[in-house]
Amino acid sequence: MTETIKIKKGLDIPLDGAAERHIVDARTIERYAVKPPDVVGFMPRLLVAEGDTVTAGQPLVADKHDPRLTLPSPVSGTVEAIVRGEKRKLMEVVVVGERLKVKGETTQVSPLTSHLSPQSPVWWMLKERPFGTIANPDHQPKGIYISLRDTNPLAPDLEFALQGREHEFEAGVKALEAFAPVHCVRAEGPHPAGNIGTIVAALDPINKGECVWTVNAQDVANIGRWCLTGEYRPERVVAVGGPAAKAPHYYRLLCGACLQRICDTQLIDTSYPSLASPTILTSPIRIISGSVLSGTQITANGFLGMYDQQVCLIEEGDQYDFMGWLMPGLKKYSFSYTFLSGMLRPFKALEPMMPIKPTYSFNTNVHGSVRPFLFTGSFERVFPFDIYPLQLIKACIVGDVELQEKLGIYEVEPEDFALCEFIDPSKTEIQTIIREALEVLRKEATA
Amino acid sequence: MNMKWLEDWFEKIEPKGKWSWLGSTYEAFHTFAFTPKTVTKSGSHIRDAVDMKRSIIIVVIALMPALLFGMWNIGYQHYMSVGTLSTFSFPLFTCFWFGFLRMLPLIVVSYAVGLFIEFAFAQVRHHEVNEGFLATGLLIPMIVPVTTPLWQLALAVAFAVIIGKEVFGGSGMNFLNPALVARAVLFFAYPTHMSGDKVWIAADLWGSDAIAGATPMGDLAAGMRPSASALDMLIGTIPGSTCETSFIAIALGAILLLMTGIASWRIMLSVFLGGGAMGLLFNLLYTINFPLSTYLELTFYYHFLMGGFAFGAVFMATDPVTAAQTNTGKWIYGLLIGAFAVLLRVCNPAYPEGMMLSILFMNCMAPLIDHCVVARNIKMRERRAVK
Repeated sequence: MTETIKIKKGLDIPLDGAAERHIVDARTIERYAVKPPDVVGFMPRLLVAEGDTVTAGQPLVADKHDPRLTLPSPVSGTVEAIVRGEKRKLMEVVVVGERLKVKGETTQVSPLTSHLSPQSPVWWMLKERPFGTIANPDHQPKGIYISLRDTNPLAPDLEFALQGREHEFEAGVKALEAFAPVHCVRAEGPHPAGNIGTIVAALDPINKGECVWTVNAQDVANIGRWCLTGEYRPERVVAVGGPAAKAPHYYRLLCGACLQRICDTQLIDTSYPSLASPTILTSPIRIISGSVLSGTQITANGFLGMYDQQVCLIEEGDQYDFMGWLMPGLKKYSFSYTFLSGMLRPFKALEPMMPIKPTYSFNTNVHGSVRPFLFTGSFERVFPFDIYPLQLIKACIVGDVELQEKLGIYEVEPEDFALCEFIDPSKTEIQTIIREALEVLRKEATA
Repeated sequence: MNMKWLEDWFEKIEPKGKWSWLGSTYEAFHTFAFTPKTVTKSGSHIRDAVDMKRSIIIVVIALMPALLFGMWNIGYQHYMSVGTLSTFSFPLFTCFWFGFLRMLPLIVVSYAVGLFIEFAFAQVRHHEVNEGFLATGLLIPMIVPVTTPLWQLALAVAFAVIIGKEVFGGSGMNFLNPALVARAVLFFAYPTHMSGDKVWIAADLWGSDAIAGATPMGDLAAGMRPSASALDMLIGTIPGSTCETSFIAIALGAILLLMTGIASWRIMLSVFLGGGAMGLLFNLLYTINFPLSTYLELTFYYHFLMGGFAFGAVFMATDPVTAAQTNTGKWIYGLLIGAFAVLLRVCNPAYPEGMMLSILFMNCMAPLIDHCVVARNIKMRERRAVK
């Protein structure tokens, strides 16, 4: 059953480079990676070694605390590399797929296992709030929430992405209904209306001791496919765009796909007409897996994040700006009205008549130095929760766990504060502050 | 504009080694010239163009109409009282130049003392220099009498910056509005220089005796009806603190502050609502012949035009650090400031100006107001969890 909610507070950032509505099939990409760091609270234990042959859906890593929770290989092939980071932290397990099998039509159907359970390869797609971990099978969620609209800047249109997979989606919902009531919610309004946190807070906020499960709409279809056919093929229609993308459009990928080929096309290939960014790029490009507001930076030969459904290419802004704080700022975007571009915003209807028009160029520059919180009242305009954002952030900074609980920390995730962080004139790393506070609470809760 | 040479110069002179203790000072000047080239490392990859410098400079720009008018008015009041100028001939530039020369030392002293202390504290703490004082340092000379001795001003600024702000950790951590702390210090330490009818009009630079000229509030405190008309007060051609006399000039600043969203419209509006309500209440008491003072018959909106009410409402009460921080709290905070200011004016003739004390008092109360507002949210959450 689809529910609708309306949100008023928020902000749609006018970022260039929205994906055009045509899908390019890129399921023939060979290299894939499973990235345990993308999964909050997951302590990976390796189940394979380099050179092993794996099949699609075979677990590559399992959680040390709960061996039922695993991250499976998206394709059949051989384990090419096990990438470790600082302190030997497991970063990626890279699998090279066999071309034929990648297309996926030949995988055998096994209806016996097609009953959704924690052992199913698709279980990791279920996330749990608070904390955003993989759904704990021992918990009883009070609901399972699915957002039917992604409102992040340049996010894919989920309805378009799911075209032709409606029956799989329905099968997925049916499988989830065995665990808790499922709410498919279509949110109207500016970002963060489509964020799952906003939706849960609007319908039935999480209290201490409660939890809800959430699933990406595309993963519901993946779960449905697995239930219908027993085939594990974690497909994502991914919107590739951003101000630095040459030809933003959709790609059909498997989760964890290597993005090198796509980035090469988007950044170097000049046979595409330059659609999004007519300006000449002077800085290197940052590749972000996920939303530009809360995604992860990856290298040009990096992999799509476990839960991501968009890729954003944006210019690095590592340049000085002479007297940036004093200039009229016709090209600067600000949610406040402190720049000329903002002051002209209310007169958008008159824009054709203006001799000079505001055009925004976004890059990754911070546009200022870090300061204490001075100004108040703007967070509330982009934060559609019944929570006092500034007070909660301050409680997180000082590490007052009790106060955090009272102020509603369990209702939020770092991504819910992404817009606050974006508009903050004090340039505070708000998402990091919230993430660290949640991390402390999660460890306390599981200990 | 190609400023590569300046970028290079700054990179060349960056203090290293035995000079690295000068980091904060270098950083302050460097970020003054260039918005840094820092890129985002975590969280949101893009950021809003607004920063603290931009926000503070908007406040400074918003102060300009009041400052320029104040300079002119200093000259105008002077020439009017020494009698070399009739009401209908006031050479714009002569008046302005006179006022400019009287204002400049006040501004220079305020900025020099305040910024020196700010830099020193930042340097010792290895912090970056905060922009907040750019507004505070201009606000202080704008709310004192033009005849304030420079050494007193310097003392007050130093007190305000150190005790009012830095001991709490600097901008953003203080709970009293530093500009008003400076004025309060002057007011209580040197009352003869801050009130009465001898301080509001500047004498000639060299010598001549102080000139008497009562402010409308002085008249009222003395039990008389004010000699200035409402129009005079609206335009601001009355004696008073340097830059707070003109309602219109202040309103121009208020428009910029509200348009840019730098000041809270909730606070500004509610201060006027609170003051107006209190004024109306006193008008009501007048109709039943309540024996209190001449103030009772003063039509309520005169309070907005007189003294520092408008200036306080627009530039002081809205200081986001010392105001209430929740939206509901801002309404309560503003209403009470307005109400207390009028109450003090009418009921306590010892202090002709109630605005300063009212705002400082509510600065102290703001955390309590916020606490109550947030407590309601906490209660709601607790009730929901029990349900």
